[in-house]
Amino acid sequence: MSQLKRYFLLISILLFGAIQTFAADAKQRFPKPEFDSGYMQPQTTAASPRMIFLEYLDVLILLVVLSVVTWFVLKKRSRKGVFWTSVFSLLYFGFYREGCICSIGSIQNVVLGIVDPTYAIPLTALLFFLLPLVFSLFFGRTFCAGACPLGAIQDIVVLRPIELPKWIQKVLGLIPYLYLGLAVLYVATKSEFIICRYDPFVGLFRFDAPYNMLILGILFLAVGVFVARPYCRFFCPYGVLLGWMSKFSSRHMTITPAACIQCKLCSNSCPFGAIDEPVAETGKRRSNVNRLMTYFVLLPLWIGIGGFAGSMMHVPLSRFNQTVYLAEQIVEHPEVKNDAKNIDVRTFMSSGKSTEQLVQEADAIRRQFYLGGWLLGGFMGLVIGTSLINLSTFRRRIDWEPNKTNCLSCARCMDYCPVKKE
Amino acid sequence: MSISKNDKIKLAQRIAWIAAGFALIMAVLLIANFVQTKLNKPIDNKTIPALVKRLSESPGDETLKAEIRAFDLMARKAYFTSQWQIRTGSYLMFLGIIISILAIRFVLSAKSKLNEIDKANEVAGLDKLVAQKWVIYVGSGLVVLALVSGFLSSNSLKEYMVNENIVAVEDPSTVQVASTELASAPVEQTAQSAALVTTENVTTEVVAPANPSETTSGTAIIDVAPKPSGLPTQSELKANYPFFRGAEGIGVASQKNTPTDWNGAGGKNVVWKVKVPKSGFSSPIIWGDLLFVTGADAQARMVYCYDKNSGKLLWEAAADNIQGSPSGMPKVTADTGLAAPTMATDGRAVFAIFATGDVIALDMSGKRLWARNLGVPDNHYGHGSSLIVYKDKLLIQFDTNRSGKLMALDTQTGTTAWETARSSKISWSSPILVNTGSRTEVILTTNPNVNGYDPQTGKELWNIACLSGEVGPSAGYADGMVFAANEYAKLVGIKIGATPEIVWEADEFLPEVSSPLAINGLVFIATTYGVFACIDAKTGEKLWDQEYGDAFYSSPIYADGKVYITDMSGKTHIVKATKDYQLIGTSELGEKAVCSPVFSDGKVYLRGMNNLYCLGN
Repeated sequence: MSQLKRYFLLISILLFGAIQTFAADAKQRFPKPEFDSGYMQPQTTAASPRMIFLEYLDVLILLVVLSVVTWFVLKKRSRKGVFWTSVFSLLYFGFYREGCICSIGSIQNVVLGIVDPTYAIPLTALLFFLLPLVFSLFFGRTFCAGACPLGAIQDIVVLRPIELPKWIQKVLGLIPYLYLGLAVLYVATKSEFIICRYDPFVGLFRFDAPYNMLILGILFLAVGVFVARPYCRFFCPYGVLLGWMSKFSSRHMTITPAACIQCKLCSNSCPFGAIDEPVAETGKRRSNVNRLMTYFVLLPLWIGIGGFAGSMMHVPLSRFNQTVYLAEQIVEHPEVKNDAKNIDVRTFMSSGKSTEQLVQEADAIRRQFYLGGWLLGGFMGLVIGTSLINLSTFRRRIDWEPNKTNCLSCARCMDYCPVKKE
Repeated sequence: MSISKNDKIKLAQRIAWIAAGFALIMAVLLIANFVQTKLNKPIDNKTIPALVKRLSESPGDETLKAEIRAFDLMARKAYFTSQWQIRTGSYLMFLGIIISILAIRFVLSAKSKLNEIDKANEVAGLDKLVAQKWVIYVGSGLVVLALVSGFLSSNSLKEYMVNENIVAVEDPSTVQVASTELASAPVEQTAQSAALVTTENVTTEVVAPANPSETTSGTAIIDVAPKPSGLPTQSELKANYPFFRGAEGIGVASQKNTPTDWNGAGGKNVVWKVKVPKSGFSSPIIWGDLLFVTGADAQARMVYCYDKNSGKLLWEAAADNIQGSPSGMPKVTADTGLAAPTMATDGRAVFAIFATGDVIALDMSGKRLWARNLGVPDNHYGHGSSLIVYKDKLLIQFDTNRSGKLMALDTQTGTTAWETARSSKISWSSPILVNTGSRTEVILTTNPNVNGYDPQTGKELWNIACLSGEVGPSAGYADGMVFAANEYAKLVGIKIGATPEIVWEADEFLPEVSSPLAINGLVFIATTYGVFACIDAKTGEKLWDQEYGDAFYSSPIYADGKVYITDMSGKTHIVKATKDYQLIGTSELGEKAVCSPVFSDGKVYLRGMNNLYCLGN
């Protein structure tokens, strides 16, 4: 394939995104037509919920897809099979189901189900959350390989992958934890489902999205031509949970079906940098141990400082909550009460609530953010401290092995292994 | 026939090219479509507004109507067609890209070329050390960033709560519950006590008439003022203009020969004009030759009495030295102020209430009869409900953020005759008094109820939940039907009687401040977006609407076959109270106005932002 064609493809993707952006921007709203003929405007009605049997069908299809892709990875060792399964998932869960329901977003349903006793989590959302985790616990992240539509759309455009330096991967690898923490915080304070709101691909699936999100989705795809699956690796909050599960998977895929012959052919095969090379301890053992001990000692400090810093962020963090934002607007700019175009203010004014009540409500939410800020900051401190400990430990390895936490089980590396199944 | 591998690759390459080319063409077409739509937005079509303007000049032009409809349909068609084109084009382009990608991938796999990753040149051990360093840098950076942004963020809510003495609550969901509990608790009390509350512990002041400013206070009622004799008759009330919106508070004046042409700035038909010393948004009331208004500022709350014929200030009285009256003024908004409620009179005394919760009764010569403080109303705009008198009872709507109640004070002593708790949110509407034929009811609107009460006992007779939001407009009434409305809620026609029920609902034109007027089988609505509309009182169907441009805070008043409605710019539009829109004239005050016009002896009295006018020939 010539370079020209690749550029052509990239331009096409960008154009596609641009058009979608235009389409979204071009939407206008007409006032309701007036009829003198006696025609009655139909009542505005809400869309009917999806039939329950179809919801269960989605769960069944997820289960089948997970089983099939796991079978392709572990039994058939077929990259082609994994790829076409992911294409199916893209078409079904992506374009047909328009990215909803999805396992990534289901984190929020689960958290809301825990913190809000009045919210009954739908069984389908719970299963979408649990099934990929259960599969990861046993077989690795096969969900990422073939069942996730967000992964599939990125995987298709991986044409010229490059490997990022480890330090960049490590630093960017902190983002998913932060994203996960923020997502939980905003759901726990009943503020926002940020994972859904800032899903960069759902706009492409639906051919409709806010301007900014379309641009973001296009950027992810454009970057994804070179940096494989950037959202999965450096943003996906569900990937954090899958990684934790996969780390303990007993039947994770292997690069070679039998004994490794140390041919190194697979060493450059993973676009995700998820193959651990054989390693022997380097440097002086004493200084390595000292460093590790220092990191262990510093771990509580990271947690404490992180917690304090997080708590300090509670004011700006809480501004994403609509009630807090509205209260601040009204308190700081009372003239907005007369702004007929400010729909949030108008809605509040028509609710009959007083400013005092609104401020009380916002203040209570802000105090929830204070506690949440401590927890989020402490969690991030723990993540940073643990990352440093992991980077200081040496585990002797003699073969090329998939990193169970980061491996997406895409099965690319298998094609590079000359060893055949005995 | 079998196809060789090379041929398959070539075929896939061609498919990739063709699909990519197709996608590119679609992209170009879509961009062209987008640009065209952007440049000629159907919604911004200038033709239709121009035609509509022409139609307003000649409303009966059927050809013009047909032309407008044709243009409107064409614009809509153009818009929805372009939407369809964009969507379909997007699908086709997407299909082209998918086919192209799949073909490329096929070629890649058919060539059996394994994709090598461009590796970063790194040494394992050193690489880990660099990564540790960067994780520390970034972690520290995040901490610093969080601390700095935390220090730089000001918590304006906290400051507001300190300034306003707002108590923090533990859980946001308890905010609403708390207010509901406050509102609902007194309801039970009312139900148990049959709406009758004893008056032993109320604080009432009655002051020696010789010295209005000298006050005494205490729980005992000192009755030193001469008692007015008798109660006002209905004909007496109607001959005067004793309450907000007339003798029944429904916006119907019985005066005749009302003027239709004046100009406040130019002096045309201005009988007199005086500056009211202190500002207020209360409308005037008139009894005999006396006209009363209130004004207030942080220094004093005042009642002014003018000679309605000459505009001479006859006397003024301060509502001061009242036990329980706050030393500092409650926080009110500029558009409500401290003197928004209109006074009331029974011809024997005049009554006024201010945002401080001070109620004062004065005899017709300005001598204080009694005064009391009802408690500072917790009202984020300021108390705005006007007073009304039924026989010997002064009726006060006292809906606040903490609780709501309707109360009756004895007009002679100021003691509480009864008070009835209202299961409602705060509202600013005023009570109206209507005679249904079988009984007299005092009717109030609030969120969510429209209620009817027995003015003698305070017993709630009926309620219908139909409103929402911050209810400012009072009810309208005519021919056994109550009309209640609020912006963002709806306009409802309620047939009262043995079993009150909603007859119709409408939501096209809704008032925010101005109250509905019902007369001659019509309901008139004045909105804050400058539209004055006429609705069929029986069906709720719109009969006509007229856009004047300026907002209406004032309420429409019917007098002598005409409806007077004053907009905020001070223009009073006078229309015939008929099913067809017939403008009699528009007269300018020359200054902004939010008060409603008042009629007496062939004159109209109108209060502007600064001045009080007597207008007429």
